[in-house]
Amino acid sequence: MSKWFKFASVLVMLSMLIALGACAAPAPQVVEKVVTQVVEKEKVVEKIQTQVVEVEKPVVQTQVVEKTIEITQVPVTNMVYNSYQSDPAPRQVDADIVKMFQEKYPNITVTHSTVAHEDFKQAIRAYLTSSQPPDVMTWFAGNRARFFIDKGQILDISDVWSSEGWNESYPKGFQALSTVDGKQYFVPTSYYWWAVYYNKKVFDKLGLEPPETWEEFLQVCETLKENGVTPIVSGTKNAWPAAAWFDYLNMRVNGPEFHINLMLGKEKYDDPRVKKTFEYWAELLEKGYFIEDAAAYDWQDVIPELVQEKAGMYLMGQFVMDSIPEENKADFDFFRFPIIDPNVPIGEDAPTDGYFAAANAPHPDAAKAFLAYLGSKEAQEYVAKELKRLPTNTEVDTSGFDPASQKGMELLKAADYIAQFYDRDTTPEMAEKGMAAFQAFWTDPTQIDTILADLEKERALIFAEE
Amino acid sequence: MTTATSTNRTGALQRAMLYVIVYALTLLWLVPVITALITALRTNDDILARGFWSAPTVFTLNNFVLAWTRGGLAHYLPNSFIITLPSLVFTLFLSSLAAYALSRFRFRFDRLILFIFVAGMMLPFQILLLPVFRLMNAIGLYNTYWALIIFHTAFQLGFCTFVLRNYMRTIPGEILEAARMDGCNEFRVYRQIMLPLTLPAMAALATLEFTWIFNDFLWALILIQDDALKPVTTGLAALRGQYVMDWTVIVAGSLIATVPTVLVFLFLQRYFIAGLTLGATKG
Amino acid sequence: MTATPVIPAEKARPARRAPRARSKSWWVPYVFLAIPLAMFLMWVIGPMIYSFYLSLTNWDGVSAPKLIGLRNYVRLFNDRVFWIAIANNAKWVVSFITAPVILGLALAMVLNRNIPGAKGIKSAFYSPYIIAPVVIGLIWGWMYQPANGLFNSVLRAVGVTDPPGWLADPRLATWCIIAAAIWRQVGYVMTLYLAGLQGVDPSLIDASMVDGANPWQAFRHVIWPLLSPVTVVVVVISIIDSLRSFDLVFVMTRGGPANSSSVLANMMYIEAFNNYKMGYGAAIAVVLFLISAGFIFIYLWQTLRSELEY
Repeated sequence: MSKWFKFASVLVMLSMLIALGACAAPAPQVVEKVVTQVVEKEKVVEKIQTQVVEVEKPVVQTQVVEKTIEITQVPVTNMVYNSYQSDPAPRQVDADIVKMFQEKYPNITVTHSTVAHEDFKQAIRAYLTSSQPPDVMTWFAGNRARFFIDKGQILDISDVWSSEGWNESYPKGFQALSTVDGKQYFVPTSYYWWAVYYNKKVFDKLGLEPPETWEEFLQVCETLKENGVTPIVSGTKNAWPAAAWFDYLNMRVNGPEFHINLMLGKEKYDDPRVKKTFEYWAELLEKGYFIEDAAAYDWQDVIPELVQEKAGMYLMGQFVMDSIPEENKADFDFFRFPIIDPNVPIGEDAPTDGYFAAANAPHPDAAKAFLAYLGSKEAQEYVAKELKRLPTNTEVDTSGFDPASQKGMELLKAADYIAQFYDRDTTPEMAEKGMAAFQAFWTDPTQIDTILADLEKERALIFAEE
Repeated sequence: MTTATSTNRTGALQRAMLYVIVYALTLLWLVPVITALITALRTNDDILARGFWSAPTVFTLNNFVLAWTRGGLAHYLPNSFIITLPSLVFTLFLSSLAAYALSRFRFRFDRLILFIFVAGMMLPFQILLLPVFRLMNAIGLYNTYWALIIFHTAFQLGFCTFVLRNYMRTIPGEILEAARMDGCNEFRVYRQIMLPLTLPAMAALATLEFTWIFNDFLWALILIQDDALKPVTTGLAALRGQYVMDWTVIVAGSLIATVPTVLVFLFLQRYFIAGLTLGATKG
Repeated sequence: MTATPVIPAEKARPARRAPRARSKSWWVPYVFLAIPLAMFLMWVIGPMIYSFYLSLTNWDGVSAPKLIGLRNYVRLFNDRVFWIAIANNAKWVVSFITAPVILGLALAMVLNRNIPGAKGIKSAFYSPYIIAPVVIGLIWGWMYQPANGLFNSVLRAVGVTDPPGWLADPRLATWCIIAAAIWRQVGYVMTLYLAGLQGVDPSLIDASMVDGANPWQAFRHVIWPLLSPVTVVVVVISIIDSLRSFDLVFVMTRGGPANSSSVLANMMYIEAFNNYKMGYGAAIAVVLFLISAGFIFIYLWQTLRSELEY
């Protein structure tokens, strides 16, 4: 029986904790409301926030609040910023930007929280429809943002655009990405390029030059293979790296216009032009230029192959450099995806990230101030310097950028069309089906006709509902 | 131990073989766990440069530090306890009430009620995410600890009631009957006879429930938006990037988060797997 | 599963109270049930019924749901992935009611004796259960890597020239995930059985041993019948877990390559949360629920029938 008593006494202790939990539960909201009316110095605000965590002393908490009311002159707003920048480097920069903003606006405090990218995509629907949405959120430019804008969930920030002069300082393309029915809802802040990254040491050893045309590319692949080096790596466990191949091949073979119409559901997947794209792809697969069993690897899993010079090339976004070990970074460079048909306009993938605010944001003015800062020259310069991503604001002085960023900018300047990426240009559902189809094709290229027929069925169904 | 020596010897041999098999299997089982431990001590660059199965060139505790600071674990851990412990206590208490009723009485709708409890635990809970979110939001509990505590309690009731009911049915009725003869009312029978007897099952359940509720991530993601209230799993999840995965830090962070669960297991295991000591002293 | 004569009847089966003996306290069970049942109805059954309704709509999680009749179901039954997922779920169920149950029971039997280091062994087997799925996915993913992974390195070392692609092979992917899931599940089953064994009076086993039964006979005729309530729990839980299996699939393959390792719960999650098709996702959940309900009916019918004998 004594055992039982021990067990029971633990339970009693636990239930005392419940009481604490109960006290703690409503506290943060109360504090938050007070903070919005009150306070002047950051220090005091911090004090209150620590009190929120120390739930045992609700009494002390009220005292602090009373005291602050006495000192107060300027109203302080405590706004919430939820970010999906969960990759280590961008996450750090994100935090720095928040700090810089707070230094500039001492009457606004930002509660910044980072949510893993995949989870953010799912939580955002709860955020936006809840009674207490976050004020500012990260999001993708283009179709994915449009989904929420069309449903009236996003704050109209046309006034920010005009007061900040962004209608002049942002290129037309980015303005279009942010505008629906003549009003602006979005602040695009940074973008990055995709390209074929390669290990210079491998190329040098075999006397290879970065290829510009498809024939040259095939020749490079052949040479690498003959020398026992895997020509192209990819990790398609998560299917998006495969989608990059589709994007580029389709844009090079059929041109960006056809590609984007296909993304919008206006062209068919069983179109002979799409099949032609896959024939180019099949050639690479059948010649064994890709790493074997690509679907067994996550995209980062194959980086050791590149670093150890067992493999040559990787079609990837600029962020691949974040994953190359520090000591090997200098060995890597990139070239534009080879031109297949010189008569076809050049399209490139350059996904753009940015920010928007919730339509029923509790602190719309603070949200707008923060958005204005995020789009400003100062913030963008910092992001570009730290992350090597490209700024959207043309006021940013790019002359001091490192050679890789310069080259990336040139690459995009030379493009006739900038696409966002497969899973951003088409609907989420279509992207899911399409990427599964790419995986199926990768496993067995001979099934191409069945795969495309199935995909077309899906497309018809998905876009009929739109 | 009164059997003949010859059988004793073969018995010993058999036992030795059994031990060898069990120990070998244990080691095999630990391979991925040990791999995880080693991974947490390496650097990401080391893995990215040399491959995962290469011999580690550096050992560092830095990942734990990084996970602790970058994941904000110090900030999130108290929240995890504030959410988990009340949920655990409420669930065990309420489900033991329900299980007692369902195992010891026959009444109208008893089977229907049992079916409701069992059925509720079968639905893939992910589909409840948004409906429950809307309900919480409508009654003003969204973004509070209570949202998670109430939901975890309610949701785990199905499983706990089911397990406890089956366990309580194995307890001989005579013991309870004797107490009733002594004039105990049902609530005293429940509290003084039934609860102590269900201790092993309660302890096993407490272990499992603690593991589940403490490790919950999806519900915290959907029901809480305020960073000050989030449990540790959200901090850990945010270590995963959109593209770049700092594997070693992720593994280190997860290992830190297992510590409370391990402690609970070690503490409670004596109640449900203390060997046969109880019986031995009796016999 | 009827008891053998070895067991004293009062040990094996609890007596039920006669229903009408105390009709004045008919309300007692309802008092016990009031709060738990109310909570469960409000927070689980209610939202569950709401998601049944959602399965008849085109809800995207943001706008107002619009009724579209049975369109989601029609589409589901014509979805090739749905049938792949059903087949994979069947593989999960069969694997889960065999391997972890047998292994978990065997371990519990061994560990219930005084084997040296029992505590450590118990913790070792429970440890996979507390490791985050993400980490399990990472480590097992690396073990399965075709080029340098643990399994293929071992296979090559013993002379296999063309080892399989594991997770990249559509025929193997599901089994690979199931293996990892079994690895995780065994400790859990073991825990439930260890708790169950506490209810078995060791003197019974000793008695049967003295009667000349060998350990297997003692197990088969004494312990196994006594453990049958636990076994029922374990099997029901295994079925439910296997049908709901989701996290490992999601982290190890996300259902790929080309949906070959998809299961219903994973498919539901992707449709509802990635594709913003809450209605369609709800329809998948309803189908999954109906399949589980089928199993539960069998269970209830079996146990309640045997309980009625008293």
